[in-house]
Amino acid sequence: MNKFGKTILILLCVIFTAGRSISIHAAPPTEYEVKTAFINSITKYVEWPSAAAYAASTMRLCVIGHNSFGKALDTLRNKKVSGLVWEIVPVGSETNLKECRVLFIAVSESGNIRQILDGIEGSTVLTIGDTEGYAEQGVMVNFYLEDNMVRIEINIDAARRAGLNISSQLLKLARIVNQHGGVQ
Amino acid sequence: MVRRFKLKEPHITEEPALMRMIICIALTLALARLAAAEPNEPSAQADLTQLPIEELMNIKVSTASKFPQKTMEAPSSVTIITAANIKTYGYRTLADIVRSVRGMSVTYDRNYDYLGTRGLGRTGDYNSRMLLLVDGYRLNDPIYDTAAIGTEFPVDVDLIDKVEIVRGPGSSIYGSNAVLGVINVITKHGKNFNGTEASGELASFGTDKERLSYGHQYENGAGLLLSASRYRSLGQDLYFPEFNAINNGIAHNLDSDRYRNFFGKLNVAGFTLTSGYSNRGKAVPTASFGTVFNDPNFLVSDGASFMNLDYYGEVGQRWDVSANLFQGRYFYDGIYPNTGAPVTLNHDQSRGAWWGTEAKLIGRLEKHRVVAGVEYQNNYRQDQSNFNVAPYALLLDDRRSSKREGVYAQDEITLGNGLLLNAGLRYDQYSIVGSATNPRLGLIWNIADVTAFKLLYGTAFRAPNVYELYYTSPGTQKANPDLRPEKITSYEFVIEHQPWQNFRITADAYDNTINDNINQITDPADNLLVFVNSGKVVARGVEVGAERLWDSGAQLRTNYAGQISRDVSSGVELINSPRHLAKLNASMPVLGNALRTGLELQYTSRRKTLAGAFAAGHLLTNLTLLSEKIAKGMELSASVYNLFDKRYADPGGPEHVQDLIWQDGRSCRLKLSYRF
Repeated sequence: MNKFGKTILILLCVIFTAGRSISIHAAPPTEYEVKTAFINSITKYVEWPSAAAYAASTMRLCVIGHNSFGKALDTLRNKKVSGLVWEIVPVGSETNLKECRVLFIAVSESGNIRQILDGIEGSTVLTIGDTEGYAEQGVMVNFYLEDNMVRIEINIDAARRAGLNISSQLLKLARIVNQHGGVQ
Repeated sequence: MVRRFKLKEPHITEEPALMRMIICIALTLALARLAAAEPNEPSAQADLTQLPIEELMNIKVSTASKFPQKTMEAPSSVTIITAANIKTYGYRTLADIVRSVRGMSVTYDRNYDYLGTRGLGRTGDYNSRMLLLVDGYRLNDPIYDTAAIGTEFPVDVDLIDKVEIVRGPGSSIYGSNAVLGVINVITKHGKNFNGTEASGELASFGTDKERLSYGHQYENGAGLLLSASRYRSLGQDLYFPEFNAINNGIAHNLDSDRYRNFFGKLNVAGFTLTSGYSNRGKAVPTASFGTVFNDPNFLVSDGASFMNLDYYGEVGQRWDVSANLFQGRYFYDGIYPNTGAPVTLNHDQSRGAWWGTEAKLIGRLEKHRVVAGVEYQNNYRQDQSNFNVAPYALLLDDRRSSKREGVYAQDEITLGNGLLLNAGLRYDQYSIVGSATNPRLGLIWNIADVTAFKLLYGTAFRAPNVYELYYTSPGTQKANPDLRPEKITSYEFVIEHQPWQNFRITADAYDNTINDNINQITDPADNLLVFVNSGKVVARGVEVGAERLWDSGAQLRTNYAGQISRDVSSGVELINSPRHLAKLNASMPVLGNALRTGLELQYTSRRKTLAGAFAAGHLLTNLTLLSEKIAKGMELSASVYNLFDKRYADPGGPEHVQDLIWQDGRSCRLKLSYRF
């Protein structure tokens, strides 16, 4: 076989195998399906102060702002974590944020982040977000993407101030952000 | 979670061809399977909530498509170009980036790149009507006010995280130069690299470029980025029919372009220290400014260096403080082989050095978002000189220094029901040219983050620079110390509609009036170039744009700008002002996600030239193929610019004999980056 023929064959081979390797991929889970699973897992590593009184005996997850999760949060429905059933609450004008156990703050609220955090000061709400700079601004757990994999950063100071104890096992997996460590 | 395996070195000696081929195929298969196997991917049906968190961290997710930033509440019409766009469309310079933006065009005269914005593309102007910021640092130098967007832009485009192009007057916050808009370049952080990246490019016309970058984020949150680049282009032998009498009109070996630049950024706690240096040398083939054609000495060098220390911190719950201290230098050297017998080499030179500081307070009160600040800049060196090399003769030695101070405040008031009122005012005091006061008012009605109506009014100014005021060159150009600031008054109406996260349309209409327009003309009395305040220009236009992202990763951005600009007293349409600009950028993944294509179409309608002729309208097509993962950490892209080899020209400025400057035909670039 001449050089040209070989080159063509190798090229065909590469294209064929590349094509195959792609076709056997199952559709990867979406970003928000994985983030939902993260939220579920993270709560297992968080200790809420026992004194905290919650109106509902559920794991109430409030979502404030434009909900990017779509149907992903439905996978939590009827599931229990730490003995509590998930309850998903979209935040409306009536919602008392202090009654949420977990508050997810969407990117659409980046302009109001201070007001939201000020509003729940003194409560034991675990704040979660997925917007660059949120952790530095006082959101306790913030998701970011690295090479299309979900990563977390944690603002320990913010969690401590709220009286939440985050297990060192989780801290080991996270990037730790100081309150004033962020550069805008 | 990376799997590694070692391949035994094959015995290469006396191996039959068939054997080699089998090894090749086996290797390919192994690579393909490796690619397929990494990382662990549970099927979509699996219950992710049952997985331990360590495994969740290894799942590659498909990200939903959404626009990187919301622009609904911004008191302007804003376009954002991201690092991903830069890669996808193979942008080589900041000029490539802004060329793709609604209502903007770029003219190149084989010396510098000139920006046209909303119908205003004054020739002989070094983009002084656009404020160019790098991480908040003002790049416009205090001699020519240059906003360098070509190869002399000091930051490698690979280091850009995003570019925000803000249309309309910005003087109420930024002071001088923000006449037609602000280009805000935001660079990447050390964490964006997280290691070392080497990048090499080969392109047409004997061009190569190399870059080495290192970035790291430390455990305490501090980040470091260091990067150095080198670019060399031999250029082409260009034909200029206007100079047929000399060397058959061919400028031989006179289109070379080379630069070196360095960029560094260190952030610790609230402090960010940014530093940059660049030095570019461009040979000029056009025999501009009355020089000898095809003279190998015609070379222009521009350099800039800067250091900016920035602090951002909180003061109490509702107030943030931001302050910076900066130092900048600019140098320019031009060797001009002046016509005459014998030919005299003329050295044109300028040196700028300045420092300054700015402090601002940002408050988030219940119904107010307040920004107030003060700025001070001391231009302790604004020197221009000009001399003949041999025999030595000093023709100009103009040494200047000046100061400027500015104070400003802006308040964004929430009126309720999605209604925002944005009001700002800035006062500037210049030691040379007096003072200016510029207001800005914006009424924004944001309906549920889906539709926004913006009604905007503002004024902006540009102080004449020392080049326009004091530069002289015997037989070519004379000074005009009586120049006054030029001033723009702008009215704009913007509609943004974003019914879904991945689709948005924008429409705007504007009316810009420039008074005391500073223009370079040739004085008929003595045939010398001179800057004058030449009356009043009105530019009006409409722009529409649409953007759509698909979850598959495909994206489409398209826009149209219709504009007309006239000199009011004569009613004459301005030169280098296209009436129509239309652009389309489309990108989609192919072969699964192995490759991404980026297709770019740019239409520019005909433009009037200085001689009263027209540069014909043209449609340009650029195509880029990008493979972000040909191997781990490796990225390869191939671009073809002016795919259909369209022959087109830009209008020349008054320093040229040529009325039209012909542009590059088809060219290509191959780029390989490796991160380790």
